Amino acid sequence: MSKKVSPQEVLQALKQVEDPALHQDIVSLGYVKDIEVGFERATIAIELKAPSPSGQPDLAGSIRKAVEALGVPNVEVEITSPAPPPPRGPSNLIPYVKHTIAVASGKGGVGKSTVAANLAVALERQGAKVGLMDTDVYGPSIPSLMGGKQEPRVVEGKLEPPVEWGIKLISMAYFLPEDDAVIWRGPMLHKTIQQFLGDVRWGELDYLIMDMPPGTGDIQLSLSQTIPLTGAVIVSTPQDMALSVAWKAIAMFKKLNIPILGIVENMSYYVCPHCGERDDIFGHGGAREAASRLGFPFLGEIPLNPAIRIQSDGGRPIALDGTSPLAQAYEAVAKALVEQVKSASEQVPQIITE
Amino acid sequence: MAFTPKTVRLHGDGDTLIIEWSDGHRSAYSYRYLREQCPCATCTDAGSSLDHEPGQLPMLGVKPLKPNRAELVGRYALQIFWNDGHSTGIYTFEYLRELCPCAECESARDKIP
Repeated sequence: MSKKVSPQEVLQALKQVEDPALHQDIVSLGYVKDIEVGFERATIAIELKAPSPSGQPDLAGSIRKAVEALGVPNVEVEITSPAPPPPRGPSNLIPYVKHTIAVASGKGGVGKSTVAANLAVALERQGAKVGLMDTDVYGPSIPSLMGGKQEPRVVEGKLEPPVEWGIKLISMAYFLPEDDAVIWRGPMLHKTIQQFLGDVRWGELDYLIMDMPPGTGDIQLSLSQTIPLTGAVIVSTPQDMALSVAWKAIAMFKKLNIPILGIVENMSYYVCPHCGERDDIFGHGGAREAASRLGFPFLGEIPLNPAIRIQSDGGRPIALDGTSPLAQAYEAVAKALVEQVKSASEQVPQIITE
Repeated sequence: MAFTPKTVRLHGDGDTLIIEWSDGHRSAYSYRYLREQCPCATCTDAGSSLDHEPGQLPMLGVKPLKPNRAELVGRYALQIFWNDGHSTGIYTFEYLRELCPCAECESARDKIP
């Protein structure tokens, strides 16, 4: 007997076929992706829900038998399984994030957030997948620096981070009315940091940049103890006073065994827009000198320039304007950073379970 | 902190945890020794906590002690999840290095009064 059967009949027949491992029929498991019927033939596309290296040869056989019983002599079965998950990074909380970089300083007001945002943009422009986490819950500024108009959405119990300029963002600013303040003690901060890591759908990232609040307090400690950070970038202005506080941040990271990826000198010098003369407002080269004295990499210097401030206030980081010398300064810092990240991530201890 | 492991190796069937350090040193700890040295508040307070662990009645036979898994704590310590249900001990790398039972480290320790 040979005839053309309908897809519905085929589907009925497939309800008799069980996944040998799960003992449930493949229709209710949702494996059946497509049924195509023709004269004396049927093609059935099956998509497994979990990666299966063997491709389940038994299953193809049972499907063929069940459909052949309808009187279809030529039955083709295509079984696909989803791609295995990407290799896991060092943290269980954010398994698909390769490198985590804290941007920190001792003192406030040295331009940490601006540097963090522009570094994220510069890395993204070099082709990396980048996330930017604003861990400064007291003074969150990342969304306005990045021109954030979107908000995170809840999808299946997790937060889908908004994407600005190709970068996934999360910040306390999204969860607070504009004029409200976070007045919290340590345990609340710790919980928030954990949620920013584990409850946000970061997905696969090459770099997760973390903009830190100033100082060496609860948030820095929580972050450093929760995930094996790849390393920290220290931002400082050139004058002695800022540098001396930056060493305190460095001392904290050293205590926690977190590598210092390098130092960025921000507001390094000022070029007068009228006469073009350069003025070293805070002195110049202090950070470079200190970095070499203490044996840390120096990642580069970013000049003090009103364009950075104007672009930042407008929510369009300067690093997006590829041709401007300011964007190139950030690009150079990002390139130097990538080199340091490579060697630092090789030093993350590997846990091997046999 | 000077000492960082390159690899931490848990043997599924064996009874030792092996650390290869970044300076080339190798430490092999028996699970029982590590469990006895657990630095958490409960264990250090109770002395040798193994004697007081619930569910370890000797007449029922004692399950061989081993870690189910281990995780990094930041970049400075190891948290071991033991099959006796205990997991609150945070073993800093510095502490683990101090615990190294090899003859070389043993004799170095003896020299310190």
